[in-house]
Amino acid sequence: MSNQWFIKGVKKGILTEGFPQLPPEKPPLRPSLLNGSSNFKCPVGALDENKWNPEKCIFCDKCSMEMHFTGDQKLFKINRKMNAFKRSLYIYIIDSGTCGACNTELFNIFSPQYDANRYGIFLTNTPRNADVLVLMGVETEGMKSVIEETYESMPEPKCVVKMGTCAIGGAGIGSKISSLEPDALIYGCPPSPYTILEALIELKGDKP
Amino acid sequence: MRYYKFNVRDGYYIGETRQFSVYEKGMIRRDEPLERLQIIPKINDKNHFNFQYGPATGGLIESLDFKIITNGEAIKGIVVNPYVKSRTMRCLNKTIDECLLLVERINGYHSASHSIAFLSAVEDALNIDIAEGTYYGRIVILELERIRSHLLVLKRMCEPAGFGVPMYQLSYINEIITRIISDISGHRYFYSTNKLNRVDVDFGLLSSYIQTLIKIKREFENIFDGLLESKIFINRLQGNGLIRDDPLIGPAARAAGFKRDARSNISILPYKELNFEPIIFNEGDSFGRFYIRGLEISQSFDLCINALERAKKSEYDYSNNFSGEGAARLESPSGDLFYYVNIDNGLIKDIQMSSPSYLNLKSFIKSAINTIFTDFHFNFESFGIWVSEVGVEFI
Repeated sequence: MSNQWFIKGVKKGILTEGFPQLPPEKPPLRPSLLNGSSNFKCPVGALDENKWNPEKCIFCDKCSMEMHFTGDQKLFKINRKMNAFKRSLYIYIIDSGTCGACNTELFNIFSPQYDANRYGIFLTNTPRNADVLVLMGVETEGMKSVIEETYESMPEPKCVVKMGTCAIGGAGIGSKISSLEPDALIYGCPPSPYTILEALIELKGDKP
Repeated sequence: MRYYKFNVRDGYYIGETRQFSVYEKGMIRRDEPLERLQIIPKINDKNHFNFQYGPATGGLIESLDFKIITNGEAIKGIVVNPYVKSRTMRCLNKTIDECLLLVERINGYHSASHSIAFLSAVEDALNIDIAEGTYYGRIVILELERIRSHLLVLKRMCEPAGFGVPMYQLSYINEIITRIISDISGHRYFYSTNKLNRVDVDFGLLSSYIQTLIKIKREFENIFDGLLESKIFINRLQGNGLIRDDPLIGPAARAAGFKRDARSNISILPYKELNFEPIIFNEGDSFGRFYIRGLEISQSFDLCINALERAKKSEYDYSNNFSGEGAARLESPSGDLFYYVNIDNGLIKDIQMSSPSYLNLKSFIKSAINTIFTDFHFNFESFGIWVSEVGVEFI
């Protein structure tokens, strides 16, 4: 019976796309980089003095009369490259208070279209094996100590990624995650798999 | 309120809001706090010990705190804390548009269901008649969301069995559906797509995807048939997490033989015009829930394509100063989702929600007693529980 699945798998051939060497095949319009300036009163305060702030933006489309979504998925900022993880990067995820969308988008980078494993990016079920702690969602009382204990139990060298507008700017729902300085910020509500994959490749000091 | 009445206990039990116990056709004010989600064994066996699972663990999509009481293999009791990642939504005294931005982020994976249920309650308060094109547009996006949600559940059930090939093939299809959603609405999770009496979707573009949808449907059915032929896989599901009695809603209820589907028993969306009939099965175990979801994926493809012919964008210019009270319920991919709103001069004075995941979590605990720990994930995933929609407080 297991042969049946093996054959079915081989018959499908390679389904992985060329991204990030090639441009994204189906980039979403939202979230993507925004162009322009506007004095529109943004519901989450993402337009400070007419300038766009990706840390607060929930990509709700309310300012689209003046601002323009470019489709560009480079929505991340790397504060510190971690060259020690060039060969492999093991991720441990903590959901502090998400709607579930960031969680599923992170899992999506392992689907056949993106196949993050080919870049040595893997999920791990224990912080003892983790290189990077990915934090998602707004800060919640119940998860504060969990985040701290998890980070403490990770071996050195280690790094922290804050992913999604909730974790980075609160998204108009609550407070951003205040503990731990991030080595990378991945913007979006939720960030697309294209953004997440490219950010993680850059974080590990690898070339796409 | 056109669809709901106060102080009426009529029809099957839907769930709990902050103040009300909700039934199929009415709601009753509840004075007691919600009961704790736990089953503790009556006999104090010295061989029992507590096993902590979560809140942060690779085995679950979201944070959830389990204390499992076990003798080493069988689960004898469970205490669940779904409020470990509870969020507070500042909806009161906000406009409908501001509140909608928060409502669609209660459960991102079922964002269309939440926003349409909320908007239907608001439209009930406004007492407006919805355009036919909007009704069918809403069916189209709800069915696309159901397909994607059921695919995720099936994929998650393949994972603990070590069935890598079907798991990745289901992820592949799931991503294609997500990309279609992104193309037609501009967002992969339908955020900012639903408005009062309007669905902001390019239905013309979706029509050009019909052949793709038919092809994906066939591809899915091949994978599903392959899984049904696999004795190793089916053996892990059959008899696991058996539950046949209340509280059951959504696919879990239909798997156990109950004809409970908000699509067939409410009038806020015209499913009857599409000759919709709920699919029922007679096995209340993980296999039943797996089987029902598989069949419903095929059914949702057909419903989506049929509703697309009559789906249309419409405009409704509503007044900002209306007041009223409304309630509405619809069938989200996990079961009945209910919203109640009270609006004063265009501002939200009260909002209450009953999520299907609360009752599904309750049913899951009941069904998990005396199952073995290695089968825990099959059972948990088969209910399609989203923790994000359980612990939400509106202030």
